Amino acid sequence: MTVSGKGVGASLRRKEDRRFLQGRGRYVGDIRPAGVLEVAFLRSPVAHARLRGVQKPAQGLVFTAADLLEIGPIRANSALPGFRASDQPALARDKLRHVGEPIAACLAESRAAAEDLAAACLPDYEELPAVSDMLAALAPDAPLIHEHWSENAFLETKREDEVADLDAIAAAKVRRRLRTARQSMAPIEGRGVIAEWDPRLEQLIVTSSTQMPHVTKSGIAECLGLDEGQVRVISPDVGGGFGYKGILLAEELVCAALAIRLGRPVRWLEDRLEQLTANANCREHFYDVTAWADAEGRLLACEVEAVVDAGAYSAYPFSACLEAAQIGSIFPGPYTLPRFRFRTVSACTNKPPILPYRGVARTGVCFAMETTLDALARQLGIDAAAIRAINLVPPEAMPYRNLVGKVFDSGDYPEALRRAVAAIDVAALRARQAAGETVGLGLAVFCEQGAHGTSVYHGWGIPFVPGFEQAQARFTPDGVLELRVGLHSHGQGLETTLAQVAHEVLGVDPARVRLVHGDTALTPYSTGTWGSRAMVMAGGAVAEACRQLGERALTIGAALLQAPREACVLRDGAIVQGEAKVTLDEVARTWYRRPQNLPREVDKGGLEVTAGYRPDPDTGTHSYAAHAVVARVDRETGAVVLEQYVIVEDGGTLVNPMIVDGQVLGGTAQGIGTALYEEMPFDAQGQPLAGTLADYLLPGASEVPDITIEHMVTPSPWTRFGQKGIGESGAIGPPAAIVNAINDALARFGAEVTDLPATPARVLAALAKVGAA
Amino acid sequence: MKPAPFDYTRPRDWSAALAALAAGARPTAGGQSLGPMLNLRLAMPETIADLRHLPGFGVIDQQRDCVRIGAGTTHARIEDGAVPGQVGAILARIARNIAYRAVRNRGTLGGSLSHADPAADWVTVLPAFPGHAIALGPEGERRIPLGCFVTGVFAVALQETELLQAVELPMLPEGTRFGHWKFCRKPGEFSKASACVLALPGSAPRAVLAALDQRPLVIDDAAALLAAPEAEAARIVEGLRLADPWREALARVALRNAAQEAA
Amino acid sequence: MKLHLTVNGAATALEAEPRTHLADLLRDQLLLTGTHIGCEHGVCGACTVELDGAPARSCLMHAGSCDGATVRTIEGLVDDPVMALLCEAFSAEHALQCGYCTPGMLMTARDIVLRLPEADEDRVREELAGNLCRCTGYRGIVRALLAVLASRRRPGSGDPDSPLSGCLA
Repeated sequence: MTVSGKGVGASLRRKEDRRFLQGRGRYVGDIRPAGVLEVAFLRSPVAHARLRGVQKPAQGLVFTAADLLEIGPIRANSALPGFRASDQPALARDKLRHVGEPIAACLAESRAAAEDLAAACLPDYEELPAVSDMLAALAPDAPLIHEHWSENAFLETKREDEVADLDAIAAAKVRRRLRTARQSMAPIEGRGVIAEWDPRLEQLIVTSSTQMPHVTKSGIAECLGLDEGQVRVISPDVGGGFGYKGILLAEELVCAALAIRLGRPVRWLEDRLEQLTANANCREHFYDVTAWADAEGRLLACEVEAVVDAGAYSAYPFSACLEAAQIGSIFPGPYTLPRFRFRTVSACTNKPPILPYRGVARTGVCFAMETTLDALARQLGIDAAAIRAINLVPPEAMPYRNLVGKVFDSGDYPEALRRAVAAIDVAALRARQAAGETVGLGLAVFCEQGAHGTSVYHGWGIPFVPGFEQAQARFTPDGVLELRVGLHSHGQGLETTLAQVAHEVLGVDPARVRLVHGDTALTPYSTGTWGSRAMVMAGGAVAEACRQLGERALTIGAALLQAPREACVLRDGAIVQGEAKVTLDEVARTWYRRPQNLPREVDKGGLEVTAGYRPDPDTGTHSYAAHAVVARVDRETGAVVLEQYVIVEDGGTLVNPMIVDGQVLGGTAQGIGTALYEEMPFDAQGQPLAGTLADYLLPGASEVPDITIEHMVTPSPWTRFGQKGIGESGAIGPPAAIVNAINDALARFGAEVTDLPATPARVLAALAKVGAA
Repeated sequence: MKPAPFDYTRPRDWSAALAALAAGARPTAGGQSLGPMLNLRLAMPETIADLRHLPGFGVIDQQRDCVRIGAGTTHARIEDGAVPGQVGAILARIARNIAYRAVRNRGTLGGSLSHADPAADWVTVLPAFPGHAIALGPEGERRIPLGCFVTGVFAVALQETELLQAVELPMLPEGTRFGHWKFCRKPGEFSKASACVLALPGSAPRAVLAALDQRPLVIDDAAALLAAPEAEAARIVEGLRLADPWREALARVALRNAAQEAA
Repeated sequence: MKLHLTVNGAATALEAEPRTHLADLLRDQLLLTGTHIGCEHGVCGACTVELDGAPARSCLMHAGSCDGATVRTIEGLVDDPVMALLCEAFSAEHALQCGYCTPGMLMTARDIVLRLPEADEDRVREELAGNLCRCTGYRGIVRALLAVLASRRRPGSGDPDSPLSGCLA
């Protein structure tokens, strides 16, 4: 860290806090252009139907697919062999494929009046049998959601290591069938879009609550047949993303087309009912796992049959297969698995299209692997920590390439586990168990690949492949440093952390650094904020841009000092030669406003640099963590109380430890939701059953314990400061660790919970199954 | 999530309120139950009659042996101790766990009781009291025993032309015992099982089991339950033939715990 | 319908449909966009404002029933000493990330500080149940509240206008 205590490694308070604390954040819903028309969508009331048409009310602005033929379908392909692409119409054309699918856009002066119009529309449809369960979707006689397909599957992937010989030689074999629930990511701010046509610039301006403005811009241009230069996307303050806002929206296309058509601004703000009933779109996995181990618990092989409910369409840009296909590559987790056999299927169902939610496939995979390990440990009569320790990749093997080709950059995984267990009074816990208390200890160890780039994504062949992340750094005439990045900050605190990076390189006070982001017209292209990549990629790009800017300043400063360039250095925000110095402010003032003081041959590039950054290799950093949980189960009600929650975490170099802790804590709260509370059930007709936050339970302050975080710091050898992507980590471990704790508590009854969330009803059912309720 | 259009009227006296009701207006007090239903368009009344400004609507009046609580009294006032005596202490304890403070600041005792959500707290607790709901209709005042007030899920003994004016509860004699237990997965959530027992010296203890997705079960003589909470709760709940084994277990625990506290 | 409100100390006359809720009135007509809309059914707490002196859900109060009410929003509390303490503590404890739940959270936090000066951690968590945050995991929020409660319990902290530093200075 710099001596100032404001650079990389400082828990600097956030620059962005002030506006939020005063209620002066500016979100899409806070922007209301003059003359705006508000949109309410008529949405499908059924999961599967043939749509014959829509009877519109006699008066009012209502647009169906037939009225907006200029909008092409959303198509998110993948290069993976066998992938079936779906055409997702922005407004349903001839079929309805999930409850909540937009059918018509209804426009009025107020949202209430627009809803009146939507209520007055009569969709004419013939209902078809719905496919609401992913396993039923794959049955040979299941109704086809896309009729020209041969089955309801986007993609199947497999690997066929031999496992037939293992039954004879393994000391233990377990098989578990596990399920995770469909969830709603539920940022507190919903989605929102304002579209306007600027006749002067002949440009469509779309203000959207998105994590990836540039990708959205590309998608809008593609689907509307516009040049990318004709589209500008602005992402203002965004009230939580988590993956929910990493998508090209049908609603964005419709609003954009309407703004062009009507010559008036058009706004749609998603409400909670739409969010819950039309867009519960993540996390739903099924696993059939078999694992073999030797007598000491050493894993011999895993065989996994995994199905992911990918919903009705392939969402742009991540496609319908990202989650299921990743299961094949990340299931081994942090362990040295010698053999692995799998088949994964991305099932197509009459549900909203799947999106990658914080942690993406890892949350489900970690739950499957870690509960299976505990089942093996119980069968072998060995300790849950011991079976992990013997299988974890040892630190001396780093960097380690596992059997599916994932490369782990650095770290001491067994040490994280040791520290997490050491933070728990295990002896006291075992004594309580012996005394009859239904308490248990649960562990989960996992790693998180983050900031993976070109070398990983070109294989997926989805609509984008991240390349060099670019950043622009420039001085304004008064010496303020402006940074421009194409990704977006929506809670991660990048306005602060990127200023810290700039300070680290240039010595400019973070208070004098401004971050410009969230506007495609003002920032370099970027695939956006996803995959725990911002601090690695934008951090690296900002550092490089600042380094180059420093070189430019050095030339100017040396000229002002009338000293040879090589005799000068950049130090603490000034160009210094011996006792003489000229501040960066002075350098900037001179370049812009007193150029007569500079020699003619000075660097013409001035004080504005765009630089790109890509780690080498760019296969991704691997942060990792061990979670240890003590949970108490009420045998009478099935309620679970988290008594203690310990996380030992290694995110490499932490640019701002306070903010990293915030990311881990927030992720863990979401993971607790996945573990114990959050579930969007669908009935057999494909109707979502939790339409309010009174039914879809989000963890509140009483449901999240006071979590302890301990950091290890093993820098990544591949990134600019050794930082690793860690934004999703917290959301990965909790379901595994918590269910393991519950199952440890229930072990004396021989009961086990296998499905998420581990609701009181499921806990009691598990006990009842073994006659212990 | 914006309501369908409706008209708003604010009657200033009870006869105007009854007239509005007779004309088909939907009465509202704090609006904490009706508000979400309006926004979700689950309720689409033509007119809403806001009762909050009626004389005496939020008045708590202690008489010699009873207390009359205006239907418009907010949960928060009850939580903060506006009702005197042991009855007030009991009500305060219940009020504190209704929804959230911001909801309690607006939501009212009478509104909640008349709405009769089967999981609502007053629906569980008030039928245990030997008190009355005071209904006002075109014919005048009618006293409805609290044990009979809630007749079903979202159904009460008020006639279409009547409004709930107040709830009258006896001041509790020395030696009164009370037990209450409810199960929520989170604070403020609608309970999944809820029970209470009130035992006044010299009379049969009364018990209520609610949040059953059906009419609350009122047990007029719960002496057997108090004598053997575990076995009797099991027997009573078994008789309800609840479909969901988890809810059945919770109901059993709720009734037993409430009885044990009051025993 | 016509209605009269006192908002952040100023008497205001508005024209609105009876069905318009207070959050929309504040945001669309008075441009007080610090009051956020999160669920419109009373669970998330993002729209919490002070109504007639106590926190309330502005999404559940429709125009008619607000007529004559006194409202304070986050914008009206910038100079409030308790709110200033809370803002300082929220920043120090990293009690906010995306900022969307923050104004509603602060309205509730201020009520807790004023109404329950002796609240301990469990009580603070319980009282926060009606305000959902999807970013922070609540630890920073709880710690910030406990810090403000403790600072106000310290002897000599009676002066609510004591000097403040940090984010709002």
